[in-house]
Amino acid sequence: MLKNSLITVIMLFIQLALPASLVAQDKINLVLKGQVLDAQNNPLIGVTLALSDSRSGAVTDLDGSYTLNVSVLPGTYTLQASYVGYKSATADIQITADKNLMTQNFTLFEDALDLDEIVVTGSTLKSSRRQLGNAISSVSADELSKTGSDNLISSLQGKVPGAQITQTSGDPAGGLNIRIRGVNSIRGNSDPLYVIDGVIVSNTTNNVSQVSVSAGAADLGTNRLADINPKDIESINIISGAAAAAVYGSRASNGVVVITTKRGSIGKPEITFGTSVNVNQLRKKLAITTYGKQFGSVAQRLHIINPFTGGPTVTTNGRNLPTALVDVTRYDYQDQVFGDAMGTDNYLSMSGGKDNTKYYASLSYMTNGGIVKNTDFTRYGLRLNLDQGIKDWMKISFGLQYNNSFSNEKPNGNSFYSPVNAINITNNIYDITKRDANGNLQAVEPTRVNPLSVIEDFDITQEVNRAISNLTFTFFPLKGLTIDYVLGADVYSQTGKTFIPAYPYPGVNVLYFANGYAANVTSNFRLFNNDINATYQKDITSSISSTTALGFNYQYSRADRLFSAGENLLPSISTINGSSAVVSNYGLDQYAISGYFLQQTFGVSNKLFLTLAGRVDGSTKFALDQRNQFYPKFGLSYVLSETNFWKNSPLKGINSFKLRSSWGESGGLNAIGSYDRFYQFSPVVNQGRQTFIPSSQLANSSIRPERTRSFEVGADASFFENKVSLLATYYRNNVFDLVVNRLIAPTEGGRSIVDNVGELENRGVEIALGVNIAQKKDFNWDVNFIYSRNRGKVISAGSPLVAINTATGAPIFLVQGEAPSIFFGTFYAKNADGTLLLDARGLPQPEKGTALPFKAGSDIPAGSYVYAGTIYTPKRDASGQPTGTALRKIIGDPNPDFMASFGSSVRYKRLNFSFLLDGVFGVDVFNADRRTRQGVGIGDYAEQEMKGELVRGYVWAIYPIEEWRVDPGQFVKIREVSLSYNLPSPLKGISDLNVALIGRNLFSFDQYDGFDPETNAGGNSDLFRGVDFGNVPIPRTFQLSLTAKF
Amino acid sequence: MRNKLILILFISFSIFLPSCEKEYFNPSAAGEAQVVSSVDGLIALANGLQFTYSVGRLSPVYNTITASGFSTGELAILNAGNASENFLSLGGTFVDGGNSIVSALWEQNHLVKANAEILLKNATNFGDPSFQSAAIAYGSIYKALSLGNLASFFQQAPIQVVSNASFQTREALLAEAITTLNNAKSKVTATAPSAAFLNKTVGGLDVLNTINALLARYSLMSGKWDDALSAANTVNLKAKSTFRYDDIARNPIFDVALSNVNVFQPISANLGLKGDLIPSADDKRVLFYLKSKTPSATGIFSGTGFFASNKTEIPVFLPGEIMLIKAEAFARKNQLSDAKIELDKVLTKKAGDDIYGLGAELAPYNGTLTQEALLKEIYRNRSIELFMSGLKLEDSRRFVRPGPGTAGAERTRNFYPYPNNERDNNPNTPADPAI
Repeated sequence: MLKNSLITVIMLFIQLALPASLVAQDKINLVLKGQVLDAQNNPLIGVTLALSDSRSGAVTDLDGSYTLNVSVLPGTYTLQASYVGYKSATADIQITADKNLMTQNFTLFEDALDLDEIVVTGSTLKSSRRQLGNAISSVSADELSKTGSDNLISSLQGKVPGAQITQTSGDPAGGLNIRIRGVNSIRGNSDPLYVIDGVIVSNTTNNVSQVSVSAGAADLGTNRLADINPKDIESINIISGAAAAAVYGSRASNGVVVITTKRGSIGKPEITFGTSVNVNQLRKKLAITTYGKQFGSVAQRLHIINPFTGGPTVTTNGRNLPTALVDVTRYDYQDQVFGDAMGTDNYLSMSGGKDNTKYYASLSYMTNGGIVKNTDFTRYGLRLNLDQGIKDWMKISFGLQYNNSFSNEKPNGNSFYSPVNAINITNNIYDITKRDANGNLQAVEPTRVNPLSVIEDFDITQEVNRAISNLTFTFFPLKGLTIDYVLGADVYSQTGKTFIPAYPYPGVNVLYFANGYAANVTSNFRLFNNDINATYQKDITSSISSTTALGFNYQYSRADRLFSAGENLLPSISTINGSSAVVSNYGLDQYAISGYFLQQTFGVSNKLFLTLAGRVDGSTKFALDQRNQFYPKFGLSYVLSETNFWKNSPLKGINSFKLRSSWGESGGLNAIGSYDRFYQFSPVVNQGRQTFIPSSQLANSSIRPERTRSFEVGADASFFENKVSLLATYYRNNVFDLVVNRLIAPTEGGRSIVDNVGELENRGVEIALGVNIAQKKDFNWDVNFIYSRNRGKVISAGSPLVAINTATGAPIFLVQGEAPSIFFGTFYAKNADGTLLLDARGLPQPEKGTALPFKAGSDIPAGSYVYAGTIYTPKRDASGQPTGTALRKIIGDPNPDFMASFGSSVRYKRLNFSFLLDGVFGVDVFNADRRTRQGVGIGDYAEQEMKGELVRGYVWAIYPIEEWRVDPGQFVKIREVSLSYNLPSPLKGISDLNVALIGRNLFSFDQYDGFDPETNAGGNSDLFRGVDFGNVPIPRTFQLSLTAKF
Repeated sequence: MRNKLILILFISFSIFLPSCEKEYFNPSAAGEAQVVSSVDGLIALANGLQFTYSVGRLSPVYNTITASGFSTGELAILNAGNASENFLSLGGTFVDGGNSIVSALWEQNHLVKANAEILLKNATNFGDPSFQSAAIAYGSIYKALSLGNLASFFQQAPIQVVSNASFQTREALLAEAITTLNNAKSKVTATAPSAAFLNKTVGGLDVLNTINALLARYSLMSGKWDDALSAANTVNLKAKSTFRYDDIARNPIFDVALSNVNVFQPISANLGLKGDLIPSADDKRVLFYLKSKTPSATGIFSGTGFFASNKTEIPVFLPGEIMLIKAEAFARKNQLSDAKIELDKVLTKKAGDDIYGLGAELAPYNGTLTQEALLKEIYRNRSIELFMSGLKLEDSRRFVRPGPGTAGAERTRNFYPYPNNERDNNPNTPADPAI
């Protein structure tokens, strides 16, 4: 149905357009020349010149001069000169048969708002900023070169208003979580859609190597944008509102990140070679006690909190805790687990073009060591971009990236045998470096793993081979009409291997694979997209212009995964072949989306723009009767500063001023499994007999996408002769039909059903301020400030209180009416004056009382409080002590109050200095490791108890109080510092040499009792956030780089 | 020319673009209609019942043994971090609707029951009466087991699989279990279950014996002494009926608990019995269930018996249970000498004569021949012979042992509260029992 109607529409469209250009005429060959200068008459290098209705373009050279060879029919054309940071200028060119050389010079004026910059808003649709009703933020290649990071997403940290970007692990192959304007889904992830040169690419975290750990809602592993080399990127546009809804419909609700790679330009080949070397270091060590004492006996495990017989004890919380100390020797295992690591990055690119052909090719090899010993990440790859003009009405672009990514990993949190958890969970009275006569490591505390076994013997690797390619046909059938056909493919395979050898010492818990474990996992992923977009531009009258875009697209995703794992390994076999009990399974996930859209923009005098759009689409993930989803969108933009009213009023001091607003709907399908609409019977391995288990998840035959209604209003302004720019946006996103795996009464014959029953809301403000303090020939100084805040609220999640499953003891819940994923748990009993209510021995204790069902609308007595339909009332017994069951309340929030970053860049002659401070404020971290260290008896509280500075039993008294483990997660980091020097023509043949010293994550201002508050044991999960449980800390990095152009 | 070319290209592109009417199916799973449309699908479903019922930490086998074991003092919690197990061992109001063992007990028994209904509903899809007999036997056994478990731990539960199901008394659940088993018995005795069917199952279940044993068990629980006797008399005590395991589908009690010292182990050398219930020092059954009567240095007793390894089979019923059912039924009917005969069979049973190697090897009963004294000795023997079988909470109530809150309490709960996931989603959920 959809397809046929589309064909009809397209055919009509084309036939209507056909007659206009059937007149045959001879073409004229002509050379256009000129120079482009700024307001101070300095030449501008790299200005793009484009002639309307022609495929001809040119770029200015070092003198600001350009030469443009054109071959067109006679007529009036427009020549446009555009340059980032400047207002575009146009000139009418009258081309007649009697001229073959013309000169046209331009003077460009600064434009702090880049109103005339053309940005890609999705697929092949482009728009100038002045037309957009949405905020859109951009990051350039230049900014990406100063980050000291080899990862594209971490390079964006602190640069995008409204985006919270968290590096969840310091492992070189660890994950990065990006959320634009809050969490938009409960069951699916809130990762935006990524598009590289029109190809939809996967940033999925498909875990093939961290498979020995079962970690609840966590999403562990590398997200696959790690395969992209940031040096190939020309620009990144982040579209947060409904702007991309027309093109991406059911996939646009989390925002779209449009990435454009570098392309060649006409001219002689330019060769760039870059090389860098970097050092990664542990930024901060944990407080681990080496105090040479222990309670009870040397053999006493968990000596701070475990009961004891055979010596003096004191009773706390029902346990007889030992009070006498014995002598032990303590070690700090951090010294064996962490070490400085090196990395190198080499890069070679060549670009250029001649006649109708332009090319860009690059080759790169990067390897980076992790601060946990024996971990690293290596990526090599190539990219080729080719643009070929076929006829003057047809152009073909071709792009290909191939890369191989390989990582050596260690278990990444969520288990007691990850390197960092092994430090926290093992009593440090054993010399872990000691070996027997055969060189084998020795046992530590019973049931635990020697941390060095993890470092030396675990072998966990992941390899990815990936190709991203696109083929784009562009047609210019007649004046004003452009038709693009994009064919994109993102294809990769992953191979993960895990080998945990049997430990050479007895006593290890079988859950840590005492007899060995091997897993081999392979996964193949492919994503195709086909887009046809037709854009027709026409000036209806001299002041009213019209842009019509019509398109159809189809996307197909297929991922399969073969998983095998087994225990009880034969000696010297490191794969599943050595296991006597292998579990295998194969999964195939496939879905498609197709839809069509129409978008119409009217412009009035190039000042006022109104955009209307509608899209109809459907996915195979939706129920059969839900495959015609309609998403409307409106956008309004008004450049007030160009009106006569403004220019004649006192407001003219504001150099440019644009008001914008948009409203639109988009969809989300990440939350819907490809087969959620079915009641499925799954096979299980059962003693060699065929076995079906009916799913405990019942079918939902009316499942439909989550629907986000976004509204935003904002203004862009520049002041003081364009020295100051300000962008401000207020937004409100409501997610309806939120997909929840809703629990049902088991008596219905199942446990849950995936249903559209929830609702979420996000509201926020984004502000970006840029100041150009000085701009002289030899001295330039820019300052940038970004502020974003978001308030998320779970309006409904299907049940009043939804627990998020974690392996960490973190009490993460979705509580109706509260921010998503808050920490809801037990807390300290306090006196009326706010001090801790201590028991007779002077120990803190949890608040207790009653928790009873609460009827909405009833009175809440003083002292009581209500969450999600339950009223909690603290109670005191006759002696004034808490009594009843332990009460819970909100004890922490992993959603920041606001985020802010401050950056500055100074250039003096050829010396550049820049820095970026990045902060997250008003946020909590559930520090699971802190309690572990105290219970094991190696932490700072434990030391204070041994020294008598805390009452004996203090740790055991506060052990059940979850509030104790909530730590302030607020931080300001010195994210980037860069010092570079440019040498022009240092040697014959080298046109430009740049030497840079870059630091990343050099220092963190925080009060966190752990390595780093920027972390997450939940990996890239959007629900399981702000938890520290054996995570690898983010290293401090110094990088020295050298870039030469030939 | 140019525009025609573009037009042709365009149309051809559009034709290549598929539309979204397509349905993608999961090749690694099947729909209900597909499963029930083949003989092998139904056999695989029967194996699925066995798997859901007996494998894993969520399984009724794990949860009946764990819940009953903690509530009647058979088990000791070793790490209070296992919160649900810990709260069960504390009992009383510590056991609430959020307890994961109680929830799993409720949920998984209802899922087994619902899945058994799928098998029963479709058993007659195929004409072969021997196939029907086998399918109905499997469906009925698991339906009866789940109903019996629900009746053992909850005062009420729904029988029908519907949304907003209404609750029936536990007596009604037992009656439904008995009806289901009697129906299966008549099918199985009319036509022997298909050997082809049984050969494709995991095996271990002696179908007719299991039906008879469960009839005896649930008749006894319903107070129908004569029915219990007649059913027990038909059970062949030399035929094993077990849940089987291997290194992947593991014995859940061993896998989760007895393989380590982190969750639970038997509580004492007396199997948790106190006072005049303490096993005789010569009772050989204690060392069937315990590795040693002497605790480890840290005071831990290690259990073994039917939970000795990943592969150890767990019996559906024991010959000793059948003997004790008869003894109890006679005692309840005041046929005391008949009761003593059956009781003595258990007391004097040699390990070598028992199909599982479980034998007290003691002297015959020489206490007073009163109903009260005999019942007490029968209870004591059930507690030892059927240690960690998941039956003790029911036994403790039926023998009117001291309940929670009374002096010398032998159990910490009478019945469990209804789990939150039922209460939150079914308005017909009754009030929780006081204790």
